[in-house]
Amino acid sequence: MQSFVLKLSALMRVLSRVSIWLSGLGLVLMTAFIAWQVFGRFVLNDTPTWTETTSVLLMGWFILLGASVGIREGNHLSFDVVLYFAGPKMKAILHSISDLVVIAFGSGMVIYGWSLAANAWNTTIPNLGITGAATFFALIWGGIQIVLFSIERLLRRLTGLHTARFGETEIGDA
Amino acid sequence: MEMFFALDPLWILFGTFSLLLLMGTPVAFCLGVSSFATIAFIGLPPVVVFQRLNSGISVFALMAIPFFIYAGELMVRGDIARRLVALAGSAVGHLRGGLGQVNIAASVLFGGISGSAAADASAIGGLMIPQMEERGYGRDYAVNVTVVSSIIALMLPPSHNLIIYSISAGGRISIADLFTAGIIPGLILAFCLMVTAWAVARKRGYTTEPFPGARAILGLLINATPGLILVAIIFGGVRSGIFTASESSCIAVVYAIFVTIVIYRTLSWDAFVGATLGAVRTASMVLLVIGSAAAFGWLLAYLRVPGTLVEAIKNVSENPIIILLMLNVILLFLGTFMDMSPLIVITTPIFLPVAVAFGVDPVHFGIILILNLGIGLCTPPVGAVLFVGCAVGKLPVATAIRTIWPFYLAAVVTLLLVTYIPGLSLWLPSLFH
Repeated sequence: MQSFVLKLSALMRVLSRVSIWLSGLGLVLMTAFIAWQVFGRFVLNDTPTWTETTSVLLMGWFILLGASVGIREGNHLSFDVVLYFAGPKMKAILHSISDLVVIAFGSGMVIYGWSLAANAWNTTIPNLGITGAATFFALIWGGIQIVLFSIERLLRRLTGLHTARFGETEIGDA
Repeated sequence: MEMFFALDPLWILFGTFSLLLLMGTPVAFCLGVSSFATIAFIGLPPVVVFQRLNSGISVFALMAIPFFIYAGELMVRGDIARRLVALAGSAVGHLRGGLGQVNIAASVLFGGISGSAAADASAIGGLMIPQMEERGYGRDYAVNVTVVSSIIALMLPPSHNLIIYSISAGGRISIADLFTAGIIPGLILAFCLMVTAWAVARKRGYTTEPFPGARAILGLLINATPGLILVAIIFGGVRSGIFTASESSCIAVVYAIFVTIVIYRTLSWDAFVGATLGAVRTASMVLLVIGSAAAFGWLLAYLRVPGTLVEAIKNVSENPIIILLMLNVILLFLGTFMDMSPLIVITTPIFLPVAVAFGVDPVHFGIILILNLGIGLCTPPVGAVLFVGCAVGKLPVATAIRTIWPFYLAAVVTLLLVTYIPGLSLWLPSLFH
C-alpha cells in the first residue's frame, strides 16, 4: 500500500511542479500584457483591447493552479489554535475531515463549473472571440487538481507518511 | 427560546463556517462550503456559489494584489530592501536606541514600497536583527521592534490590503483616497514607535551609532533612489488617475525587474524564479479566499446581516464613540486569531455598513480596520508577522512577547488617535478633491 502511495505521490509531485511553473508563467505573462496595454495607450496611442480580458482569464488559471498546489504543500491560510491542543490522533482525524471537506468543494467546482461552462458554450467573450465557456475552464481544472491532491493527502496519512502543513512540516519530497 | 432553536439560515452559515474553521479547514474552503450549505438549505441553486467564486476571482481590479506581492518579492530578493535599510541607518542611527530607530525608519521606506507586513518583517528583520544583536541590543528588543514596526507597511501606499478592503466593500471606495488616507496614520505610528524604542533603549542603556555626516547620507540616498522612485510611480500614477491601481502595480513589477537587473544587477535567474514562484504561492492563497468570500459576502447581503446588526447595535448604544470602541475591540479580538486578508473580506461587508450607519467615513473605517488587523498580525495566538519576526530572530514567541508590551501600547495609542480624530485619515485625501 505504502509503495503504491509513494508512486502516486511521485506522480503528484510532477503535477504540482508543472502547475506552479505554469502559474508563475501566468503571472509573468499577465505582467507583460498589462505593461503592453499601458505602453499601447501612452506610446502607440492605440489601447489593445485583448490585454485586459486575457489577463483576467490568466489570473483565474494562476489562482486556481497555485491554490491547488497550496493544498499539496499545505500552505493555505487556516486557523490552527484548536489543532495545537489536539493530540496526534485527534489531529489526524481533524486533518482528514478537512481534506474530505476540501474534496467535496473541489468536486463542486468540477461539477458546477462544468454546468456553467455548458450553459456558456454558445456565448462569445467580447474582444477575444472565443467561447464564454473558457471563463470556467480554470475552475474545472483547478477543482480536479484540488481533489487529486487532497486524495493524495488522505492516502499518505492513511499509510503513515507525512502530509505538509503550514509552519509545521514539509512534505519532504519537494 | 424559539429564536435560538429555529434553524435559521444564518445559523447554518455561521455554524458551518465556525465549525470548519475550528477544525483547521483552510479558510477559503470554510467560506465556500458554509455558503454552499446555506444556499442549499434556503433552496437556491448551489451553482450560485461557484458562479460567485468564479466571478469573484475574475475582477480586473484584483490584479493589483498579485502584482504588488510580486513587486515586493522582487525588491527583497533584488537588494532594493538592503539599500533602503542602509539609508535609514545613516539618517537616524545616531538617535537614542540607534538601530531600533533605524529598523522603524527602514519600515517606513521599505513598507512604503512593498506594502506587505510579512515581507517587511522578513526583509528588515533579516538585515537588522543580526546587526542589532552584534551591537549589544537584546534579541527580544530587536524582534519586538521589527515585528510591530512592520504594521507601518500596511498603512503606507501601496498597501495591497487596502485594495482588498476596497474590493470587499464592493469596489466603490477610491483606492487613491485609501492610499492617501493611510499616510499620516502610518507616520504617526512610526513616530509613536520611535518614541517607544527611544524610551526602552534609554532604560536598557543601549548605545547609539555615530552620525555618518551629510555626505555619506547623500551617497546612500543616491544609491537608494531607484527604489524610492518606485513610490513616486505607484502613488503618483494612482493618485493622478493616469493609471488604474492594477496598471500601476504592473508598472511597479516591470520597474522592479528593470532596476534589479539593469541598474543594480543584483537579481539572478534563481532569485527571479524564487520571487515569481513565491509571489504565486502567496497571491493564489489570498485570492482564493477573496473569491470564496464573494459567495459568502453575497449571502450576508441576501440574508440582510448588516442591516440586522445595525439594528441590534442601535439597541446597545447610539453613541458613535462607543460604537467605534466596540468595533475596535471586536476587530482586535478577531485579529489575534486570524490572518489579515481573510478577516478583511469577511468583516468588511458586516462592519462597514455599521460604521457608515453611525456616520463613519468608509475611507476612515478602512484605515481603522487595517490598523486593527495589523496589530492582530503581531499578537499571539495567530500572528503571521510575529511568527516571521521570531523565526528570523530565532527567538521563541513566548520570549518575544514578554517584553513587547510597550510597542503594543504605542500601536494602540496610534489606533485610538486614528479612530477618534477622523481628520488624520481624511484631511490628506480631501486636499486632492
